Amino acid sequence: MRPFRLVNAGSSAHAASMLDAKPSSARPIAGGTDLLAEIKEGVVEPDTLVNLASVVGLSGIDHAEEGVTIGAMTTLASLADDERIERDYPALAQAVASVATPQIRNVGTVGGNLCQRPRCWYYRSTQFDCLKKGGDTCFAIAGNSKFHAILGGIDCYIVHPSDLAPVLVALDAAASIVGPQGNRPLVLEEFFVGPEHNMMAETALEAGEILTSVFVPKPSQAQHSVYLKARERRTQEFALASVAANLQVSQGVIERASIVLGGVAPTPWRASHSEEALRGVPVAEVDPETIGKLAVRGAEPLRDNRFKVRLAASLAARAVSSLLDLGDGQ
Amino acid sequence: MPSSNIGVSVPRRDLLEKLTGQAKYTADIRLPGMLHGKILRSPHPHARILAVDASAAARLPGVHAVLTPFDAPDGRVAPDLPILDTRVRYVGDEVAAVAADDEDTAQQALRLIDVTYEPLPFVTDPVEAMRAGAPDVHDGGNLVGGKPITLERGDVEEGFAQADRIFEDEFATQAHSGASLEPRAAIASWEDGCLTVWKSSRGIHADRLSLSLSLGIPRQDVRVIGPHMGAGYGNKDETRLAAITAMLARRAGRPVKIELTREEEFIAGPHRHATITKLKVGVRRNGTITAVHATTIMDTGAYLCSGPGVIRRAGQGALYLYRCANARYDGYLVYTNQPSAGSYRALGAPQGHFALESLIDRTAEEMGIDPLDFRLKNHVGPEGQPGERLTPPGEILDTQPVEGGIPFSSNGLRECLEKGASAIGWHERRQTPPDARSGRKRGLGMSMFIYRGGPGGKSTAKMRLEQDGSVTLTTGVADVGEGSLTVLAQIAAEALGIPHDQIRLESGDTALTPESPITAGSTVTFSSGMAARQAADQLKSKVVEIAASELGAPQESIEVAGGAVVDATGRRMTLDRVARLRPVGALQSEAAIVPGSADFVVNAFGAHFAEVEVDTATGAVRVLRFVAAHDSGRILNPNLAINQVEGGVSQMLGFTLSERMLTDARNGATLNASFLEHKSPTMLDSPPVEVIFADVVDTVGPYGAKALGEPPSVGVAPAIANAIYDAVGVRVRELPITPDVILDHLTLREGR
Amino acid sequence: MHRSRVTITVNGRQHDLEVGHHWTLLRTLREELGLTGAKRGCDRGECGACTVLLDCKPVYSCQMLALQVGPRAVSTVESLGTVDSLHPLQTAFLKNDGSQCGFCAPGFLMSAKALLDANPSPTEAQIRLALSGNICRCNAYGRIVASVQEAARLLAKG
Repeated sequence: MRPFRLVNAGSSAHAASMLDAKPSSARPIAGGTDLLAEIKEGVVEPDTLVNLASVVGLSGIDHAEEGVTIGAMTTLASLADDERIERDYPALAQAVASVATPQIRNVGTVGGNLCQRPRCWYYRSTQFDCLKKGGDTCFAIAGNSKFHAILGGIDCYIVHPSDLAPVLVALDAAASIVGPQGNRPLVLEEFFVGPEHNMMAETALEAGEILTSVFVPKPSQAQHSVYLKARERRTQEFALASVAANLQVSQGVIERASIVLGGVAPTPWRASHSEEALRGVPVAEVDPETIGKLAVRGAEPLRDNRFKVRLAASLAARAVSSLLDLGDGQ
Repeated sequence: MPSSNIGVSVPRRDLLEKLTGQAKYTADIRLPGMLHGKILRSPHPHARILAVDASAAARLPGVHAVLTPFDAPDGRVAPDLPILDTRVRYVGDEVAAVAADDEDTAQQALRLIDVTYEPLPFVTDPVEAMRAGAPDVHDGGNLVGGKPITLERGDVEEGFAQADRIFEDEFATQAHSGASLEPRAAIASWEDGCLTVWKSSRGIHADRLSLSLSLGIPRQDVRVIGPHMGAGYGNKDETRLAAITAMLARRAGRPVKIELTREEEFIAGPHRHATITKLKVGVRRNGTITAVHATTIMDTGAYLCSGPGVIRRAGQGALYLYRCANARYDGYLVYTNQPSAGSYRALGAPQGHFALESLIDRTAEEMGIDPLDFRLKNHVGPEGQPGERLTPPGEILDTQPVEGGIPFSSNGLRECLEKGASAIGWHERRQTPPDARSGRKRGLGMSMFIYRGGPGGKSTAKMRLEQDGSVTLTTGVADVGEGSLTVLAQIAAEALGIPHDQIRLESGDTALTPESPITAGSTVTFSSGMAARQAADQLKSKVVEIAASELGAPQESIEVAGGAVVDATGRRMTLDRVARLRPVGALQSEAAIVPGSADFVVNAFGAHFAEVEVDTATGAVRVLRFVAAHDSGRILNPNLAINQVEGGVSQMLGFTLSERMLTDARNGATLNASFLEHKSPTMLDSPPVEVIFADVVDTVGPYGAKALGEPPSVGVAPAIANAIYDAVGVRVRELPITPDVILDHLTLREGR
Repeated sequence: MHRSRVTITVNGRQHDLEVGHHWTLLRTLREELGLTGAKRGCDRGECGACTVLLDCKPVYSCQMLALQVGPRAVSTVESLGTVDSLHPLQTAFLKNDGSQCGFCAPGFLMSAKALLDANPSPTEAQIRLALSGNICRCNAYGRIVASVQEAARLLAKG
């Protein structure tokens, strides 16, 4: 691994100022499970790592009446072990349990999971100088594209790898960000940005900014959520496609619907056509298969990933079906 | 009296060391003053190296040696593979190497090496590579040997003419990495012109020969030590890495270690050959087979490795599994600019059987015959294939003959079929209706297989009675993680009449052991086992002779039992007493045998059964249950044998459902050289495997044993593919059967 | 290269070391402390051969910097038991043939230890889940599960 300097940050503001001073050569490190791989693979070559583990107050799960605040440095294992998360935010519990492996979950953090870089094999290989690395082409377009985007791929066809992201977006979570100019909140959905906004990054974080926590509003009794993930093996996998669904049903009618897909687009992908088709509709009239097809409306598959259209539609249908108790869940 | 050595689950010899973290693998060894080497690899699939400027790398503080194709010795580590070449043939091919104080410095030095390449046209597809005008990967053309190998019994054209129906399909299998958890490593150290190499090795004596030839030093000046091995599965039989390490060590005047990274291991460690097989079967209305014709194109990648053996073995199923007078196999072994293919567990047999056993399943179905009944009706029996023996009488028979007229030494195929079918509940299948609502459907599938193995090359064993009464068994074969040395000690102990734990093993060092073949082709238990048994018999005769004269008893009245010598009247002599009647080291024996039989074909057999669940919404295939019924002759160590079968089945689950080494056709670069993307089965994917051993005692093998190492991997893919068909009605003819493949097939069938 | 002095507790012993900032815990254990039980199978946190315990929780030592360890206690396979005094897990793996080539065994043993320390009588499903971050390429999974089940029984007997 290429040598670097590791500096312990004393506070979030300290971390932000160190990162701001060297925007091109300094990186924050949380658990490091993704960053160290990128450094070893030679995809990034930072001179300085700013260690967030030394900052007090960045980890922890704080349950309150209106919702839960999850520190960015909270490990995935702590989130998975939290009984109130399992009770009140079942989709989040399902998502975190599906991340990587026990060893990764013991070290990897919630913030790291949301800020991890794409797993695109062209991005991760030094043999391909792709757009994300300053090159001038996306190799997936005419290449091996099985794991790539079918939606929202503009020039670049990465998919967002996070399992937590679609769930948190579906649960209307918000991010807290600290930067050189102080704190700012951001709706989590806006935290993720596609290649049309920024080819070199997947989040809205500006130079020097770090994610400090995520707030998830507490679902009402009428809300039901689920996370389904399709993968090639039963563990150690990023999603081929996933779906987070959060439906609010009152007196047999769907009042609110959030359907967010993972693994199919450069950002967590809100299936707005499905959501619109669900809102205000009596449960008895919902046809999950139609909802599933609407979820992938506008999909433009590449050579190898036509299956994802069918897969994501099936998953969305299955999620809706299970939440409305119309048939089989996972 | 039941034996205390044979058929007993003796613990694996080296397990205690491994479980306490004390076992030393090559990478765990550190020599005083040792440097760390790194290899520069080609970014081009095919190029001529015009120049290498390593001067900046050599000047970097901490760098002690540099090796380039322009200053490496001319020798070859394999017929088509120099130590370093001025032409590179795949992305990842070795270009140059450095040795430095530590890995970081060596890595930094690689960046300073300036290579001038002249890129050459390249070809990554074996079919294209055979076309006229395709770029030559090696001078002399891409079809190895200039023509296919053709093996034929009878006349297939005549056979097809007799058929009422002919079934034909094309099948493809992928490049498939063995991905042993231990990446290759080598350490080299020179002293007074003599070289010692520690390396991950499945054949220390073959490695020694290769190193001596390539480096141009006498064989007696090379010593190869094979420490514990983090498995090989047929791999780790090449010496380019060791030769590079040795050259760096010679230049630096200090020991050098090179450990491959996981990425390098995936790319530079030879894969299971990708294949395309066209298969044609002719059948009479009554369900008997009149002809089988298989044609296989096999991608050997940039270098040959064991390709010639693999291409031949891929044809064994088509030629010999079904009783049939007319069978033919044409095998095309082709160079491309892909990473090299080489030896991987069962060498071509899984590819050949995937095609054969998939097509047979379709044939049975379309003939309206149950697939089990079809196999029971047509499998090759103990009498062998119809036809005339061509091998001269008295000559040792090939274990993969083409001719008929030769019986098997044993053949438990029918028993495997019957017992396996009963265990999986074959006859009750289709009685549980699928759960249509959930979109998850279940199915049962099966396959059967034949596998050469058992008799291998000339095999040796030495035994020595020590002064303390213990016995040393010396053998030059490697235990690549399968436990063969444990079993050899059991065989030797049984023949000598002592408990197995009185045997001490000496192995893994060319300086201590007799010339021996590599651990390959499921031959060690059988071949080295026969040698060990013979060495033990010889040693026993000597012991008996000494004891007889000491006790004044006739030799016929003397027995060795329980570690002591006993005569007819009950007088005993312990072995240490016998040993001390002769000078130290005097009581020795050595056997060198050519294993095999002049009268029988020695083959292993088996039948595999799988129950799967296919999720039609996600395309996910889950193997719920697997039954593996094997005829490997008598089972010498049940625990080890069960582990071998369970492991082999589960390993091939990856071949069937998830693993494939993938390169980009535009530049030949490997895309998925990591465990994350390789998709090896995990504990959550691995199904429960019920292991059944046929009640067979082979007439030739040591204590009735036959081959076991590789057979478990032969029948897995077709059994699962056939079960998938049973579940969802889709015949997949290409591996691996990943969710996208299932979904694409379903979409195609539904016409949407 | 940037270096710092750290105190790191491994198998109950404190070590005062100077480590490179970019050194992984695995490299530090193997190269600096000579503890070669944990293996380098992938160096990417994807195979589990390097698994050690950090305050009783399994982690990939290859994908963590030595400087990230802090005051947490590191346990490697060398702390489990010796040839003369085996840990029940080792006894069970020996009896049930819970490994073939052995390269993955140190990692599996440590993941299994973390499981049994937290849950002395796990179900088979819990065992498979807890060990799902370790790959055995010999695929000796059946024997590994049997070994962990037997170890749980041995530990229950005391």
